[in-house]
Formats: sequence, structure tokens, C-alpha cells
Amino acid sequence: MSKTINFTIDGQPVQAQKGESILTVARKNGIYIPTMCYISKTSPCASCRMCVVEAQGVDGFVLSCNTPPTEGIEITTNTPALEQERVNIMKLYDVNHPLECGVCDKSGECDLQNKTLEFGVAQQNFTARDQSREIQDWGLINYDPSLCILCEKCVHVCNEVIGDDAIEVKFGGYSSTIIPKDAQTLDCTFCGECIAVCPVGALVSSDFKYSANAWELSRVPATCVHCSAGCPLEYETRHSGINGEDSLYRVKNNFEFASLCGAGRFGFDFENNAKKDEMVFNQAIKALENANAIRFSSMITNEEAHILQLLKTKLGIKLFNEDARKYQEFIKAYSSVSGKLHHSGSLESIKQADAVIVMGTRIASDNPAVRYALTTASKHNGAKIVYAHPMEDALMQNTVTQLMKYEVGTEEGVIALLANEILKDADLPENIRSYFDDLDLGYLDAESNIGDEELSFMSRSFARAENKVLIVGSDLFAHERSDNIAKFCAMIEKYSEYSLVIVPTEINTLGVSLICDLDADEPVANVVGYNAQGDFTIASFEDTDMAVPALNQQEGTFVNIDNKVLPTNVALSFDGYTLNDLAAHFGIESENTIDYTKQLSKEAGFKSIAFDSLENFLSEFGDDTRGYVLDEVECSAADELDELEDLPEFNGTVIYHCNPVLQFNAYTNKSRQLEKDTTLRGSAQFAAAARISDGDRVEITFGSRTITREFKLDSDLKGTIALNPTFDDVFDASRYRFEKSKIVRVVHE
Amino acid sequence: MSKVYFSTWNGELINNIGKPQEEWEESAYNLPAQYDDHRDSKAFIGWDGVSLFHEDVDVIRLAMEYAAQYQEYSEACGRCAPGRWGGRILYDQLDKIARGEGSIADLDHLKEIGKSMQITSKCEIGKTVPNPILDLMTHFEAEFLECINEQKPSKHYHESVGYIAKITSPCSDACPAHVDIPGYIEGVRDLRFDDSLEATRQTMPLAHVCGRVCPHPCEDACRRTNLDEPISIMSLKRLGADWETDHGYDFFHPMEKKPAIDKKVAVIGAGPAGLTTAYYLAAEGIEVDVYEDLPVLGGEVAVGVPEYRMPIDKYNQDIECVRDMGVNFITNSRIGADDMRRFEKEYDATMVAVGTRISKKVRCENERPEIKGYWGAIDFLDKVNLYEKYGYKISKEEQEENLLTTDYVDLSGKTVVCVGGGFTSMDVVRCAIRANAKKVYMIYRRDEKTIIRNTTYEEYHEAVEEGVEFLFHSAVNKITTDENDILRELLIDKFELVPDPNGGRAQLVKIEGESYTIEADYLVPAVSQSADLDLLPEEWEIEMTSWATIKTNGKDYMTSRKGIFASGDCEYGPMTIVNAVGQAKRAASVMSRYVQTGEITLTDDEIMEDHLRKLRVYDKKEKITGWLPGLPREHSTILDVDARKDNNKEVNLGFTQDEALSEAERCMRCYYIAMVQA
Repeated sequence: MSKTINFTIDGQPVQAQKGESILTVARKNGIYIPTMCYISKTSPCASCRMCVVEAQGVDGFVLSCNTPPTEGIEITTNTPALEQERVNIMKLYDVNHPLECGVCDKSGECDLQNKTLEFGVAQQNFTARDQSREIQDWGLINYDPSLCILCEKCVHVCNEVIGDDAIEVKFGGYSSTIIPKDAQTLDCTFCGECIAVCPVGALVSSDFKYSANAWELSRVPATCVHCSAGCPLEYETRHSGINGEDSLYRVKNNFEFASLCGAGRFGFDFENNAKKDEMVFNQAIKALENANAIRFSSMITNEEAHILQLLKTKLGIKLFNEDARKYQEFIKAYSSVSGKLHHSGSLESIKQADAVIVMGTRIASDNPAVRYALTTASKHNGAKIVYAHPMEDALMQNTVTQLMKYEVGTEEGVIALLANEILKDADLPENIRSYFDDLDLGYLDAESNIGDEELSFMSRSFARAENKVLIVGSDLFAHERSDNIAKFCAMIEKYSEYSLVIVPTEINTLGVSLICDLDADEPVANVVGYNAQGDFTIASFEDTDMAVPALNQQEGTFVNIDNKVLPTNVALSFDGYTLNDLAAHFGIESENTIDYTKQLSKEAGFKSIAFDSLENFLSEFGDDTRGYVLDEVECSAADELDELEDLPEFNGTVIYHCNPVLQFNAYTNKSRQLEKDTTLRGSAQFAAAARISDGDRVEITFGSRTITREFKLDSDLKGTIALNPTFDDVFDASRYRFEKSKIVRVVHE
Repeated sequence: MSKVYFSTWNGELINNIGKPQEEWEESAYNLPAQYDDHRDSKAFIGWDGVSLFHEDVDVIRLAMEYAAQYQEYSEACGRCAPGRWGGRILYDQLDKIARGEGSIADLDHLKEIGKSMQITSKCEIGKTVPNPILDLMTHFEAEFLECINEQKPSKHYHESVGYIAKITSPCSDACPAHVDIPGYIEGVRDLRFDDSLEATRQTMPLAHVCGRVCPHPCEDACRRTNLDEPISIMSLKRLGADWETDHGYDFFHPMEKKPAIDKKVAVIGAGPAGLTTAYYLAAEGIEVDVYEDLPVLGGEVAVGVPEYRMPIDKYNQDIECVRDMGVNFITNSRIGADDMRRFEKEYDATMVAVGTRISKKVRCENERPEIKGYWGAIDFLDKVNLYEKYGYKISKEEQEENLLTTDYVDLSGKTVVCVGGGFTSMDVVRCAIRANAKKVYMIYRRDEKTIIRNTTYEEYHEAVEEGVEFLFHSAVNKITTDENDILRELLIDKFELVPDPNGGRAQLVKIEGESYTIEADYLVPAVSQSADLDLLPEEWEIEMTSWATIKTNGKDYMTSRKGIFASGDCEYGPMTIVNAVGQAKRAASVMSRYVQTGEITLTDDEIMEDHLRKLRVYDKKEKITGWLPGLPREHSTILDVDARKDNNKEVNLGFTQDEALSEAERCMRCYYIAMVQA
């Protein structure tokens, strides 16, 4: 079926692949057809009707955005008759459109302005009685129906790309408007995608509204730092106040092809402020000189990680980063079977998939970009999606087709059952085949609660699938049996047609794991914390001993979920000292931190490309040309699996470390616009088991820690597991995300 | 055909202006000159022109009111720039002229905007709304100019005039259940599967079923046929239903259930007609008890249509959707005349929807039901399906009756002959193949072309692929049995089609000397079915049709006895699922008013529906413009014959998402607005 169709546009011979429209082919060949409602990443809205073209031998005009070409057809994109209709459409769009460009946020980058000028609509002879429409305040998002041209882009992305499906068109001819779907006000994850795609000033950020004009803002291409997706974005800055200092005004992105979650879009103001303070600098040097170890987080660039590694060697100290170390160990076990260092899948392969298993992650909040890719797969490919997790997630209902709810702690058994099912007809080495033959399926089934029926249902629903992906997340990295789990993942990737995506926890967990030799964290004296806890802390967060620039004030690179090395740039300047300055004191000298970019380890797959040679944009057809993909690294491999251990039991009240949507880390916690829900959220069943009720202050004890939070009843949750946020607290990545916990209500005096 | 004062319908131009009424010419079309039994129509205006039945029609207001409808029809409109703004401008300018404030320039603007809408609108409403308006402006220019020049209102501008409008489309009009087909296809195209499903469920609760086994009369009225090939309308219905099921959603009901109104209805039979009646009555806040003879719900679609065509887990979703509306089901409950007498007192109305469950005879010599091996199609399919779908085993007695040695239908080593030609007979022969019969014949009086027309191309070809041998132009003449009255042999006559020399219908004439015998173990008559109506009390003297089904007027579905309604096969005779659904939906609407008022009434929407059906919305001669021809219809994947013929796996795998979206893109959204001034 991969037949190509040959036809001509304006006399130029062109080719279409199956599924491509005339408009897509025209754009690929640099032929301009005007549109107002078309957006590449969704199905055609087909509302503006400007993209009409003429086809040889066909009476009337043909819509190019949703019509595939036929063999040999001759298309003409511009004739006086077409021009006249396009002008008329622009005149219609301009009927009663408020003449308030002077104060409209969109002015200067408005499709309506642009096209009105393009088509020379200088006067208007069509009129209609105007109507009064009220501006809607939807929290972070404002909607002005008078400015809305009903292109439907917002509705399409919300439903097809994001998956919130929170808005819809209220039909009614001239009174048509965009409304929250099945709700009085907007109830969604506030990704702000609707703002991004709005071609006019109808949907705007309520924070940005009336604060600046498009032409006054400078754009800095960068990489989002809130999760491991590393989405492309642009920080927009402008001087503010009389001192001419730059401020961050907003974040935008190349919405035509890419998407952002609300944390990326609204959580941009996490910059740090400091002046060079020599006394503090000297204290830091002293702390490092006396240090036994540096403890750091994965929210740093590859170049910083490289400096830390150099410091480790130089000072003979230990490096603690449990997040990256657990990931590193997981990958090591994975490599011992797969024979390579990098997983095979990517966000793009998820988007192309028609069968997906997601396991061991609450993906909608862990990595929204994966969720969006799943939404795309579900809507556009009709993908069947299995969600294997001890808790269901209401946000995933419209993508997930099968919930595989397993018992907390039984991940090793679950992955064994999945591997056994997926590889049942695979050509396996003899020892592995007999390993699977010897599995006590009855035991695994009973303890994990994943029945044979569920597994065969999965196989049936995947029967027609051609592009399968297994996505595994951070529940598995710190699992007691993570090594063997990783080996099972590798077996599936190696001996089936599944590609594998291992979702790193933080923006640069993957990069750090490739760059640093990490030591197991232990309670030693004199630990310097770098963006992490320590006896002396150097951090871009608040309450630190020495301030360093935040990630929107640094240039450098990250490695994201796609094994891509992505550059980021300085949006706001930072006047204090940096890690590079500290390192220089110890003889690790380099003018700029980014000088290390081309020195990153080739053994880990990095290429010796200088930072300034890295591209940082999407091509005009949406190809992600940012940075580069790591080279594959071969490792020695053996087809071996460990014997399964008895599956553990988690009884009583269990908490799951998991952030609410839009919250990830100290940066998002600092961000002005993002909601900070620090409550422990649980179901009615959880409340009953813990003998607490909505609004109670509770003490939560897990491991050796006790924290206090407010308890919130969440009607979307079920079962006896509650969600404990970590963005406002220290997340101990060395621990399995589910914890047996003791919950005690705090009684007020 | 009716006399008209003026008409431009479908390109005709009848102008009787100035002539006395006796001399008026007739229109060539079935225009709704009489709105209902107490109202004449004064004008009819629609996508294809305008017809006036009276001299005194205010044509300017008529045009203005028609344009206004475009703003009203929210389900279809607001989706494109030319339609949204253009429609409003049409209305505003016409209203301006009609109220006496218009100018000559307004006429030019109307023409210009009308033309743009005709060329660039998204759906046919936008493209066609200007048609009759421009017709009126052309043929009644003087009246428009008079209002403009004298700045006076049109002649009935300030009076109260009744305008009744209805949205339609060729496919919805042809669908017996009048499903909003462009609506559900748009839902697929926009990847809004919940919207798609709700569009279907407005008039059709059985989305899984009619997305799989509907003979889709709509596709014969698809305007896309005029361009290349019809849209695969039926298969696209599955997507919404599958989406709801796959994601485990609560049922998407297109309406909110109304609060209880303390009225009760009994429904006899839980097949498509019964389920449909129950669903829409329950939505109106009426308590509904559905009585079902069989141990399972679903009627013939459950026990007749085989699993490989209609998986029961999917049908059960449709049934659960009906139950979710708050319907009460009572199975294993055969209703007799005494029950009916009681129901008449206990319930506010009763729906009889018992289907046709008696297999008719093939009419041959020695045809006796007691012959062992003579096995009626309905009973045969009951036995197969009750076992395959629900695990009901066949009792020893019944095994003996039907020459079986197992507690399910196993035909290993047996030869099965089925006489039929419709869907039921296709189900019989294909089930027989799956029951491992040695040889399966289908005997049919007419030819291959006719059997395809009576069923579907796919159904016939799949049966042939699976190994069914079709004997056309044949009929059973005689059954021969052995000493134990076990069927042994069939004498088959051959026929030929002899054209009538006088140009009449060709006759089937037996070819002498070509008769032959077939050794057979079973003869399954599947020629037709009749209704078992023992439940109707004799003293009610309910009127019957000449073919022994319950008589109604085909509009409100009340029988000759007040409060007793009938729908589905027991009313119409053995027909399609969608026909039963359509009847039952209408009946439910009538019943919902009847139980409250005691009156039998139709809504304006229903009256218009019937008028349009008579007029016929689809015009197979219409030339299509504005669409690129030559985009082929998508075909869904069919399970390979070896992978399907010995099991009950669903044969038609349905569209992949890609195929579905390509197919949905082909839909031209042929919505139209029709309006009557009554």
C-alpha cells in the first residue's frame, strides 16, 4: 500500500505518499497555499476554506487540506477566481472583528492581521449585526469569543494531541463559540496548548495578557528542564523596569509540530539572583576542599556533570546521585542482555505506534510528552494501549484500552508474565526458552493479580499491530529486583518487534548516568550538595549557601528520553559565580562551561561536536534538528535471566511518590503561575483505612522519615494507595516509589 | 404530484403566476402540498429550489426565515467561515429588506455572499442555502424592489406565520432509523469518537450491531456514488462504539434521562425493536419492563445472527447501554393472551415486538416438520448460537429430534441443504460449514445477482469461499425419507428465466427433464419467517396485514387496539435490524406522548421526516461539483478463509484507523435544510 501518487501542482510534477493531502504535498514542495485553520499535527479542521484549489476537469473548487490527490491530476493553486474567494473569506473573517489590535496580545504575530494585509482587505462591504459576548476567565487561560475566528485548532490539539478533550465548539452559526466540554469552567491539565495554537488573540495567557507586545520580545531557543522529554521551547524576554534588566515574559514553542505541558509553558520564572560574593565563594572552596563527597541532582547540564566528574578525580571524593545511579544500574543490567547502551524507542516511535504497553510509571505526571505521544497514537493510529500499574489514572482513560492493575511490589513477576506472553512464539535461545517454560505462572498470576485472561486479551487486541512499543518508568529503577526487571525488558526488545523506551526521571538523569562514576549514597560527614542536600549547599534554589545559575540561565546540553543531546541557552543572565568558577580554583580550567561539550565521553556515545555547532530548531517540516542522537555503544552481552524471587506483599496504607500535574521539582515549585498542591491525595477507601478524612493534617511515616501534610480526598482515585508529592520535598530516588506508610492524624490542641 | 403556483424544484420551472388556480400546472415531484391532515402547506423551500402552493406567500420573509434556519441548526452549522459569517449576513440583509430598510446594494451583497457560500462552504447546507434564496430574488425581483424602493415591510412581515424546518441528508433520509450519518462520520473525521457515538445514538441505540451487520440502505443513497463510489457508511459506525468499549467508558447517552413521570410501558420481546423502544421510552422518564421469551436478551441478533458476524460481547454492550438508561428486563418469560389482558390494565401502553420466529415451509412434496433432518432455520440457528455464544447445551431429546449425538451442533460427515436466499439462509449455511458439515448446499430459485442484492456482495462471496455450493434457479420438489422417517434424498427441479414476449416480468419456468436428486441429511428451510402472534387475545380482534403481520399505519405504529403498539418484524414482516430500530424509535416517540395525553400525535420533525422520505432527498442524477473524483472506497480486512471457516472468530476485522480516517474524509457532509410554510 506504499504506492506513491504522481500529479502536478501549478505545473510542477510532485509525488504524494498514501495518506498525504494535496496541501501537505504542496508545502513539502515549497508551494504556497494560504490557510487559516490548518495545523500540521492534527487532522484537518477544514473550517477556513481558504485552501481551495482548482483541479483539471473538476467543476468547482476542491479543498486541498483534506483531499488526497489522484494519479495524474493537475492542481492549480492560484487563479483570479480562487483569489476572489479567498479575499471574500478574509472579508468574512473581518466582519465585526474588534478593532483593538492596539491592545491585543496577538498583534504583530496575528494570522488574521497578516492575512488581511496579504489579501489587501482594506474595506468591508459585508455587514452583520454584532452580538455581545463576554470574556471568559478560565484561570491561567482567558478566552475572548469576540476575537475568536472558530478555526477549531484549539479543539483539535486539546483532543488529538494532548488528550484532555476539555473544550469543544458550541455550534450555532454566527453565535458559535468555544466552551469547556461538559463543565461550567475549564477543567483540564492547563497545558496551554490552546493558547499556543490560537491564530488570533482569542485564547491568551492571563498572566501575560496586556504585558508586552510581540515585537518587543527577544526569543531564546532552549530546552525545557522539567522532565526527561526535553521539549523545545523559546523563552521570551524583555527589559523590565527602569534599570533595563531583562525579565522572562513567557514561553512559546513551535506549536505547529511540537507541544508543551503547562509546567513548560507557565513554569518558566525559576531564575536565580546573586552577585559575585567572594566570601561565599571562599566558603564554597573550603567546603569542597574538606568534602568527602558531592551530592547532586540530575537537574544539571552534561557539562556540569562533566566538571563534577573531573572534581571527583581531582579531589578524590565520592559523587552521590541516587537518581542517576539507579538509572545507571538499570541500564547496565539492560545492556548485559541487549548488548547495547541505549534503548531503541523514542517519543516519535510512540507517536507512530499502534500497540503500547506502559509499565511502572504514572506517565501523565511523570512525563507529559509521553502522554501526548500516546494520545497521538491512540487518536491517529487507533493504538491499543495497555497501562500496567497498581493505580489507575483517570487522565489516561481516553488513551488506555486495557488497565493491568498489579499488586504493589510485584513488578518482577509482572514483567516476567509480559515477557512470557510476548515471547511465546519467539525464537529464543534454549536456556531462555526453558527458563520461561519453568516459570510458575500460577504463582505469578496469583501474587501479581495479572491473570492469563488479561494477557491473552492483550495479545488479541495487539493482533493487527505493526508498531509496538514497551515503555517502562521509574517505579522499576529503584525496585529491589530492578536488575532482573531490566533484563526482561531487554529480552523483550531483543527477541520481539517491540521497541523499548526507558523513561528517565529528570531532565538529565540519562546524561548524568552516562558521564559520572557514581557512588552509593551513604551518611558521611562533609558532603557538599550541588542542587541537592548537603552540609554546604551550592544551588540554584532558594535557601542555599552559595547561589549558582538556574537552568534557564545556563547554556549547555542535556540527554533526553530519545537519547538525544539537546542544547539549551541563556534566557536571563546571572551575575554570581558558577560551578566552572569553583572548578577553576582546583585547576580544572576552561573559559566557558560549554567548552566541555565536545569533550563528553565518546564511550558513552557522545560525539565531539562543539556546543556552538549544535542546531536548536525544528525544520520547516517539523523534523527535530536539535543537537544530535547519541551514537550506539556496543557492550558485551549474555542471554541470562536471574531466578525470580518471591513476590513481596504491601499491605495496609501505601503511599506512592508522585507529583500532581504541572509540578515536578524545586523550579516548578518556585514558579509563580503553577498551582502548588502539596496535599496527600487519596481515595475514600484510603481515608477509611487510614482513619482520616478530607482536610485533616496527617503525619506520614515511611522508611525513617516522617512528614506532615494535609490530606485531600480525590474522587478520581481508588484503592488504598495515596499520592505523595515530592516537588516541595527531598525525593529520595534510592527508594522504591511505593512505600508502606504509617498515617496518623495530627490532633490540634 | 401536486398543483403549484410556482416551483423551481430540482431545476423545473413552473410559473403559474397570474393564472387562475384551475389552470395551474403540476410539479413533477412529491412535494408536501398538504402538511398534515388539518393543515395545507403554503410553500416548501429547500436545498434544491422553492415551491409555492399559494399566491399569498410573502417570498421575502420566506427567504429570510429560511436563512434564519441556517443559524438555528446548531448541530450542523458553525463549522466553516463562509457558512458562519455568510449565513448570518444572508439573514441580516434579507431581514433588512423585509422590514423595509433595505437598499439596492444589499441585493448585490446577497448575490455575492450567496455565490461565495455556494462555492466554498464546508457542507451542503452552506452550499445550498443560497439556492432557493437566489431563485426567489430572481423570479420575484419586483417584490424585493418594491420593498426597497418604497422602504416598506414585506406583506406579512409583522404577522405570525408558521415555518417548520428540518435538517436532512440523502443518507439519513434513506436510513430507516434516520441516523445522523454525516454527524457520526464527522465525529470520526475529527477524532471525536464520543461525539460520533452520540450522533448515532440519537436515533439508534444499537451502534455495535448496526456498525457490523446492517445491510446499509443508506449506502445506496450516498451522494458520493455520483462522483465515484459510496462511502462505507456502516463500518464507520463501529468506531465510536468500539472506542467507548475499548476505553471502558460509562455509556455516552446523547440525552439526559428525564425524571420519572409515573408511567409504565410493557415491551414484549428484547430484540432490536424491543430494545429501541425501551431505550427511548426510558429516556423520557417512563418505567419500562421488557419481557423476553428466551433465556437471553437480544432477539434474533443474539440467537440468529452468528458470532462470526456479530460477536456477542459487542452486542451485549449495546444491550447494556439500553439497560443503563434504566430499563428492566425479564427473561424466560413467554407472554400469553392472559398476560396481555393483564398488561393492558397494569401498563399505560404495550409494545409488541416479538419478531418473526416461525420458519416458513419451502412448499414441496412430503414436507412434514416431524421428518428427522427437517430442521427450521430459526431453531437451527437458536441451537447453534445459544451454545456458541452462551454455552446452552442441547438436551438429549432435542439431540434425538435433530439427529445429533453431541450436546452442540456437530454436523461432521453430514450433508446440509438450505433453501433460502436471504440473510437467514446465509447464516445457516455458514454456520453449517463451521459445524464441520461434509457438504453444504444453498438452493435458490433465482440467480447470483439477486442473491447479492438480497444480502450483500461480501456475505455471498465469503460463503462461496468457505465452501458453500450455491444451486441457482433451483427448488426442492420432493423429500424422500427412509423407513425411520429420516431424510435421505431431495429431488431438485431446475428452472430458467423466460422473458415475457409482451415485455412483462420474466417468468421462472421449470426445465423438464433436468431434475436431479441430492443425498442429504438435513433440509433447512430458510425461505422466510412468520410471526407467532398467539399472545394477542382473540377478542381484541387486532387487525392483521394480508401477510399475517400486525397492521399499523406505518407512521405511529399503534395497532387497531388503543394503547397496543407493534414494531419490527412482527409488524413489517421479516426485514432488517435497522428497519426495526427505525419503527421502534418512532413508536417510542408516539408512545411517550400517548401515555401522558392519550392522543396519537407526530412531532413536526416526524411529519417532515415522512414528507422528505416521500419526496426523496437523494438524487442519483445530480452532478457533483467541488470534490475530486476517483478516491476509492476503503475496504476493511477480512479474516482469511482458512483462519475463519472452522471457528467463530469475527470475519470482518473492521477498518484500521488509517482506513477509517481516509474513508471519513470522503464524506461530503450532504446536510440540507427543508422548510415548509404551513
